[in-house]
Amino acid sequence: MAPPAQVDALGELLSRSALGDRAAFARLYQATSSKLYGVALRILRREDWAEEVLQECYVNVWRHAPEYNASRAAPMTWMTSIVRNRCLDWLRRPNPEPLAEGAEEYIEDGGPGPLDQLERSQEAGAVARCLRALEAKQRQAIALAFFDGLSHAELAQHLREPLGTVKTWIRRGLSKLKTCLAEQP
Amino acid sequence: MNCKGKPELRERLAAEYALGTLRGRARARLKRWMRDDAELAREVAKWESRLAPLAQAVSPVAPPARVWQAVQNRLDGTRKMSFSVWKALGWMASGAAIALVAVTFLLPSLRDTTPAAYVAVLSDAKTNRAVLVATAGHADKVLRVNTLDPSIQVSGRSLELWALPRDGKPKSLGVIGAAQRAALRLDAPAEKSLGDVPALAISLEPQGGSPTGQPTGPVLYSGPCVKYW
Repeated sequence: MAPPAQVDALGELLSRSALGDRAAFARLYQATSSKLYGVALRILRREDWAEEVLQECYVNVWRHAPEYNASRAAPMTWMTSIVRNRCLDWLRRPNPEPLAEGAEEYIEDGGPGPLDQLERSQEAGAVARCLRALEAKQRQAIALAFFDGLSHAELAQHLREPLGTVKTWIRRGLSKLKTCLAEQP
Repeated sequence: MNCKGKPELRERLAAEYALGTLRGRARARLKRWMRDDAELAREVAKWESRLAPLAQAVSPVAPPARVWQAVQNRLDGTRKMSFSVWKALGWMASGAAIALVAVTFLLPSLRDTTPAAYVAVLSDAKTNRAVLVATAGHADKVLRVNTLDPSIQVSGRSLELWALPRDGKPKSLGVIGAAQRAALRLDAPAEKSLGDVPALAISLEPQGGSPTGQPTGPVLYSGPCVKYW
């Protein structure tokens, strides 16, 4: 979780954006776009798609800023969800073009990914601690779904496990996450 | 069918929606339900709040500057909602630059037959950088397009050139291909088709061009279309 000072600052930039303050919106973009572009790039694995989605999402953030409800979600949570949901919808488009030649591959088992980051650092707060507490397979399945946007079927293929098994890992993993989060200070 | 009265199912669907594993029709259906079912929407929001902090672990990547540029262009476009407003965007400021480019492009055309009568220089509104020049003679039924900056092409998408008439809707002049020089067919001699067109613009469209016949994407470049003689 972002430090409280940052949350407040982002919240203020969002509410000023809601009032039509373009300068505040520019600062909001500066403060958040690298993180959100990283999120989109990881799910979409194509720079042109990630750029397009990011662009759409910021236009949506601007338009919907007046509807942002601070009591329901932190600013970064709200914007992250907008980006992730848009990415998942994007992947659902009919006839997605094949990966362009030279498009970079971001899904990797080898290199250090976000899961390794989580395991090494103390950042990302309670949910990271709770994710680390899950069984390895549940943790891996949830991480691949969250960070790489894999569906149940893609997870089954990627992990070479039956679909039913993967669904069970996800379901149990999510349920344990919720219990663990409720117990966190 | 819906999931009311089935708390466990609701919870599972909300969690899987937030995680992203709920796909296809199930995902679309849950989205529909959320519109009428505030409780379900709250459940999803709670799950999003639980999971979203994980995104902190994703390595940030700075997006190219053109993304912000495109966001701004879209905000300008949607706010004013009217293509006619672009005309008033103060292109006069770049008049000197246009005159310079116009001379550069008028002179070579002298060698051909007659100098181009209509010249449009399209530029990036923010940087004032000229990216494309379009010219036509009075009676020409083609518009000659010279792309000054080939990097304006966006992979997987098309750039579409529009005439912005003084009155009426934008009219497509065609898609700008990757070739540096191209000729776009005009459906009437330039005198007629560009006579009452004070400006041209380029919008970003799906591959092959706008499916609707009107610009659907952001306007990336624009500039005045001037009759020189």
